Amino acid sequence: MEDQTRLNSPCSRYLKRKESIRYCCPRLDFTPSGRYMMVGGHKGHLAIVDMKQMSLIKEFQVRETVRDVVFLHDETMFAAAQKKYPYIYNRDGTELHCLKEHGAALRLRYLEQHRLLASINEYGQLHYQDVTDGRMIGSYRTGFGRTDVMQVNRHNALLALGHSGGKVTMWSPTSSSAVIEMLCHKGPISAIAFHPTNRDLMATSGKEKKVKLWDMRNLKGPLQTLPGQAETLDFSQKGLLARGTGSFLQVLRDSSGTQKYEKYMTHPLVKGYQIEKVLFRPYEDVLCIGHSMGWSSILIPGSGNPNFDTWVANPFETPKQRREREVHSLLDKLPPETIMFDPTKIGTVKPPRKEKPTKEEKEAELEAALEVAKDIVPKKKTKGRSKPSKMKKKKQEIIANAKRPFLEQQMKEDEQMARKKQKGMEQVELPTSLQRFARKKVTI
Amino acid sequence: MAETKRKTRDDGSRQRSSSKKPKTSKKGKSADKAERRGPRLPNALRKELDRLNPRTADSDEEIGSDEEALGQDLYEYEEGLPEEESKKNRRFDPVDNLDYELPEDFEDENVSSDDDNEARNGGESEADDEVKEENDGRRIGEMPTQTVEGRRKKMNNVVVSEAYPESEYNPTRDMLEGEGALSIGDLLDPLQGKHGYSKLKKRVRILDKKSTPIQAPLPKPVQQRLERNAAYDKSKEELRKWEPIVKRNREAPTIYFDDDRDLGPSSVGTIASEFEPRTEFEKKMASLLYDDEVMDAHRKDGSRLLELNKVSAEDEKDRQNRIAKMRSLLFRHELKSKHIKNIKSKTYHRLLKKDKLKANSLQSQMDPEASKELAMKQEYERAKERMTLRHKGSSKWAKRIKERGLDVQDDGTRAAIAEQQHLHAQLTRKMNSMKDSDTSSNDTSDDDDVDVNSDDEDRASKLLEKAKEKTLKLLNEDNEVPNSGVLSLPFMNEAAAEEAKLALQEYESWANQLGDSGGGNPKVGRPSGRMVFNGKDAPESSKKTKSDNKNRSDNYYGDSDSDSEDDLEPISISQHGKYRSNELMKDANISPVLLHEDSENHKDSFFKQNTDGSVQDPGPQATHEVSIFASGTWRKMKNGNDANANANAKKSPAPLQSVELDQSVQEPVKDLDVDSDADSEGQMVDGVLSAVPEPSYELPSQEELIRQAFAADNVEDEFKKTKEDILNEENPEPEKPVLLPGWGQWTNIQKKKGIPSYMQIEHDSAKKKREEALKQRKDANLKHVIISEKPPNKKSQNLFTQSLPYPFTSKEVFEQSIRMPLGPEFNPASMVGALNRPEVVKKSGVIIKPIEFEEVNAYEKLEGHKKSGQKHKKNRKSKSNSNSGKNMTKLKTK
Repeated sequence: MEDQTRLNSPCSRYLKRKESIRYCCPRLDFTPSGRYMMVGGHKGHLAIVDMKQMSLIKEFQVRETVRDVVFLHDETMFAAAQKKYPYIYNRDGTELHCLKEHGAALRLRYLEQHRLLASINEYGQLHYQDVTDGRMIGSYRTGFGRTDVMQVNRHNALLALGHSGGKVTMWSPTSSSAVIEMLCHKGPISAIAFHPTNRDLMATSGKEKKVKLWDMRNLKGPLQTLPGQAETLDFSQKGLLARGTGSFLQVLRDSSGTQKYEKYMTHPLVKGYQIEKVLFRPYEDVLCIGHSMGWSSILIPGSGNPNFDTWVANPFETPKQRREREVHSLLDKLPPETIMFDPTKIGTVKPPRKEKPTKEEKEAELEAALEVAKDIVPKKKTKGRSKPSKMKKKKQEIIANAKRPFLEQQMKEDEQMARKKQKGMEQVELPTSLQRFARKKVTI
Repeated sequence: MAETKRKTRDDGSRQRSSSKKPKTSKKGKSADKAERRGPRLPNALRKELDRLNPRTADSDEEIGSDEEALGQDLYEYEEGLPEEESKKNRRFDPVDNLDYELPEDFEDENVSSDDDNEARNGGESEADDEVKEENDGRRIGEMPTQTVEGRRKKMNNVVVSEAYPESEYNPTRDMLEGEGALSIGDLLDPLQGKHGYSKLKKRVRILDKKSTPIQAPLPKPVQQRLERNAAYDKSKEELRKWEPIVKRNREAPTIYFDDDRDLGPSSVGTIASEFEPRTEFEKKMASLLYDDEVMDAHRKDGSRLLELNKVSAEDEKDRQNRIAKMRSLLFRHELKSKHIKNIKSKTYHRLLKKDKLKANSLQSQMDPEASKELAMKQEYERAKERMTLRHKGSSKWAKRIKERGLDVQDDGTRAAIAEQQHLHAQLTRKMNSMKDSDTSSNDTSDDDDVDVNSDDEDRASKLLEKAKEKTLKLLNEDNEVPNSGVLSLPFMNEAAAEEAKLALQEYESWANQLGDSGGGNPKVGRPSGRMVFNGKDAPESSKKTKSDNKNRSDNYYGDSDSDSEDDLEPISISQHGKYRSNELMKDANISPVLLHEDSENHKDSFFKQNTDGSVQDPGPQATHEVSIFASGTWRKMKNGNDANANANAKKSPAPLQSVELDQSVQEPVKDLDVDSDADSEGQMVDGVLSAVPEPSYELPSQEELIRQAFAADNVEDEFKKTKEDILNEENPEPEKPVLLPGWGQWTNIQKKKGIPSYMQIEHDSAKKKREEALKQRKDANLKHVIISEKPPNKKSQNLFTQSLPYPFTSKEVFEQSIRMPLGPEFNPASMVGALNRPEVVKKSGVIIKPIEFEEVNAYEKLEGHKKSGQKHKKNRKSKSNSNSGKNMTKLKTK
C-alpha cells in the first residue's frame, strides 16, 4: 500500500509513506542514532525497522494491546508496555523479561545515562527500574491520577508527567514527591516535549487548545503561548517543533532565534486518520508520524542535525563498535542520585544547612538580650517598694528572665544530643563473635 | 735495710707477725732504692734497733722479737688486737673497704713471683710461709691501715703518740682529713725488681698524670632522662634522612605500587628451577638425577650417557616377563568384568521378555505382515505342542511327580508343574484368541483410515452419517457382552448398560436439536480416559474430538456453530469452552442442550456489551469509520454480528482474511471499552479527555459538556490550595491566641482588654517567622510553581564537595574551576590520563612493601606526568632485567 502525498509548502518534496493496516495507531521510538525505529501497533504488532535500508529487521505479534514501546540502550533490546505488564524483548522478538512490578504501564521511557526504565501505570504509579541489574530504584505514587503523558528531560533526566489538572510534575527516582510541580495549563495536559539541545526549553500542550513554551530557568510564566491543540509534540534536533492533532500536522520553527516559534510547515493527512505520535528522526530531515492507519514519514527540511558525532551516536555503527559502546556506556553509567533539577551543581560545595546558628551567634544574642535587660530602668515606686534591696532583686529577676529562653534551648539541645548519642551507642553493636570481648557495663 | 710494717690481724693462737721483710735482691741498685724509700725511723730509734738487733732482719721472727722488746713506747709495736678483728662470735660486720682493687691477674703475678723468690731464698721457715700466704690473701683488706702508715711516714717521720690505739673508732688525723689515700705506687712497691715492673710503673705514671677524679654517678632518673634525650636526638637525626622521600610521596599526585611485579603465571621452567626436594622419595630422586656422573655426562657429548643407560639382557628379559604377566592378568580381569557386566538379573530378563512380547504384539497390530508372521509362529508352536504334548505332563518327570503326589513336592516343583500346565493351556487356547486379534486389527486399520479422513472438511457430513449409523448399531449391539477381557467383568457390564442408556437419550436430544445439520453427538463415553483406536471406539473418539474442537472455538473449524462471537472474545470463550469440555468429560449427565443454551446466553451477553460499548464510546467510532474505507467487508461483518451464528455457520469456512479483519475491527472497540470502563466514574476529567472535539465526533452528553466547560475553572484554585498545604506542612501557621474565659484574668477585664499583649506579640512574631521562612523558598515568587524543599537524598550528598578544598578561598572560584570537564571528549588524549589518574595506582595482588631508603634530591623539580610515566616504565624494565629477585618496593612518584 504505497501512497504518495504532496506537502503543501514551498520546499515540499514527495514523501514516502509506508503503512499497513495492522500497525494501527502505532507508537514509535528511535535509537539515539536514528538508525533503527521501533513500531508498536496498538493491536500488538511490534516491529523493528532499519531506517537506513528501509528493511524490516523483525516483526511479530504479541496479540494484546501495546501501549508504548521504547528502545533500551541500543537496538538489540526494547521494552513494550502491554496490556498487563511491560515486557522486554530482544531484537529477535524473544521475550527476555516480564516486568510485573510495573503493572499495566501506560507509558515507558528509558533514561540512557542512568540505564533506568521508567514507567507510569494505570494507577498513576511511577516506577524506575535499573535495567542493568534489575533493581527497582524507585516506585512512587504520584497522587495525581491516571496519565499517559510522560516525557524525559534529556538534560537532567527528570521525568515530566502531564496531569489532568493542568499540572506538569517533574520526578527524580530518589525522591518520593515531585521535584517540581507547575501549573502550565488550565485544561488537562495532552503532550510535553523537551528541546534536545537547548536544555531549558520545554513545550506543553493542554486540552484548552493552547501550546506553551517554557524556559526552565524562569518558571514565572511561559515564553510563548500558541493557539491550537496538540495531541502530540516533538522537538527536532535543530529545534523544530512538530505538533499533531487529529489528522492535522504542523511544524513550527524559531526562525528569528529569539525563541518565538512560528509556523513553518503544515501537513494534512488523509481525512479520518488520527495522529497518535509524531517523532523526528535524529540526524535526518525526516518526521515520522504514527497514525491510525500505520505510520508515515515526511521530509521536514532543516530538522535534523547534519553532523553526527560518532562518539555520541553513530548511524553507521558496526556490531563491534556497538559492543564496545555498550561496555563503555555501562562503565559510564550514572547513579540514580545524579538526577536532580540542576545537575551542574554536582561537585560543587555542599550547600550549607540552614539550621542552627553557631555558638558565637548564640552567645552574641544572649549578650544582646542581657544588655537590653540591664538597661531597663525600674519604675520608682512608693511605700518601700523601691528599696535598694527590692530594686536589686527585681533587676536580678529581669536578667534571669532574659536568660531563661536561651538556657532552655540549650538544655533542650543538650538533651537531644544526649539522646542521639545514646541511640548511636545502641546502634553500634559488636558482631556476635566479638561481643564476648567487649567490656561489660558496670551497673551501679 | 728497710722493713715494711703492717698491722695484721692475728689469730688467737698466733702471736703476731705484722712486719714483713722484703727479701734482699741481688740487684744492688734496686735494693738501695727500696732502702731509701722505706720508712725512716728516727736516728735514736735506729741506733737502738741496731743495738738490739745487729744482724737486722734475717727473719721476721727476729724483728718481731725486737719489736716486742721495744715495748709499748712505740706506736708501731703497740698493737693491741682490735675487738672487731678478733671476729668473736661475728659480732662485728666484716669490713670490706675496697677503695681500689688491683686486677686479679696483676696480683696473682706478684704473688707467684713472691713465691718464686721465697722458694729461691729457701731460708724461711715454714711458719713464715704460712703467714705470708695468709697475708697475701688479706693484703687488700688491710690497705687502709697500710696507707695510713705510708702517709704518715711521708708527712713526717715524727711519731706522734696518741692517747688511744689507732682503730676504726679512733682513726688518725690523716684519715679524718681525708688524705690518707693509698697510692698505687705503694701497692706496686712489693713488685720492685720483678719482671715487667718498670713497664707497669710507666703505665701507672701515665695514668697518674692524666687521671681526673671520677665523679659520683648521677641519680638513676636523671641518668635515664639524659639517655632518653640522647636517644631521641639520635633517632631524630636518623629519621630526618627520610624527609625528602616522604615529602616527595606526599606531594606526588599519584603513587605507583605496581612496579616490577610479574604476577603472570610463572613458566614450567621457573617452577622447576625453584623445586626443592623435601620428602624422602624426592630426595632420592634428586640424588639420582643430580648425580655427578650423570650431570657430567649431560654436560659432555652424551656418549657417556649411553654407557650409563646400558641395561643387561637379563634385566630386560625380566622386565618383559613382568610386563607380559601383568598384561595377561589385566586381560583376564577385563574378560571377567565383561562377563560380569553381561550378567543380567532375573527381573531384567523377565522385563525384557515382557517388553519383547509387547513389542511383538504391537507390531502385529500395526503391521499386517508381522502379525501374519507372528501368527505363523504361534501356529507352528501350537502344532508342535499338539504333536509332542510336551507340556501336558506326559513327560517322565511329570509322571513321576504325579505318581508321588503333588502335595509331597516342594514349592519349586509344584510351581514348575503349574507352569507347565499353564503353558499347555496357553498353547492350546491360543487358537481362539489369535483369531480374535486378527479381526480386531483389521478393524482398527479400517477405522484409522476413517479417522484420517475425518479430519478432512469435505467428508465431515459423510463421517457424521457413518458415525450415526455406527452408534446406532453399537447401541443395538451393546447387549452382546464381550466374553473376555476387562469388559467381561460384571460391574463393567452394568456401567456399560447405564452408559448406553444415557447415550441413547443424548443421541435423541441431539437429533432433535440439530435436525438436518446432522451434527449428532451420541455421547457414548468410555469410563476410562484412554483413547483406543479399535473398531468399537473409533467413531466415538472422532466425535469427541470434534465436539471438543467446537467447544474450543478455534478458528480452525470455521464452520462449526461456535462462531464469530467466539472470535470476539477468544480468551473468555475458550476458557468457557474448556470448562464445558471438562464438564463433558467429567459428567455425562449434563445435557448438551443446556450447555448449548448456556453458551448462547453468554454469547448474547458479550454481544450486548460490545454493542453497548460502541454506542457509549464516541472516540473509537472514528476508527470504525476509518476502517470502513479500508475494507469493504466491514459492513457485512457488522451486520453479520447480529445475525451471528447461523449465518456464519451456513457460510461455513469463511475466508481467513475476513475473520482477521473482523478481529482487527472489533478489538479496538473492546479495548477502548475496557479503558472507558476503568475511567468512567472515577475520573471525570479523563472522561472529558476522551471527548475531544474531532471532525467525526458525536456530541457528548449534556453532563459531560458541562463538566468540560467548567473543568479548567478550579484548576488554579486547586493548585493554590495544594501549595498552601505544602507550605503549611513545612511551616505550620501559628495558632491564633485563644482566650479561656476566666483564666488569667477576671472575665470582665478580659473582655475589656482583649487578648493580652504578650500573646499578641508571640503570635505576631511566629507569623513573621513563618513569612520569612516562606520567603526563603525558591518558589516564593512563583505563583504557579511548587519546588520541593525536601532535603536531598543522603546518597546524593556524596556528589557534593563537603568543604572548600585547600587552595581555594572562595566558593565561586572553586565552582568556576570545576567547570572544566575532565572527560576524553574535552581534553587532548595526552592529558586525559593525567587528569583522571587516581591517587594510588596499584595492581591487585601486589603486596605493598614498606618504604625503602633511597637518595632523593629534595629540591628536585617534580616532573610531568607523562614523562615520569615513561620513566617509570623504563625503570621497571631495567629493574626486571637487572635483578628480578630483588624484593623491594620503591615508591615511584610523579
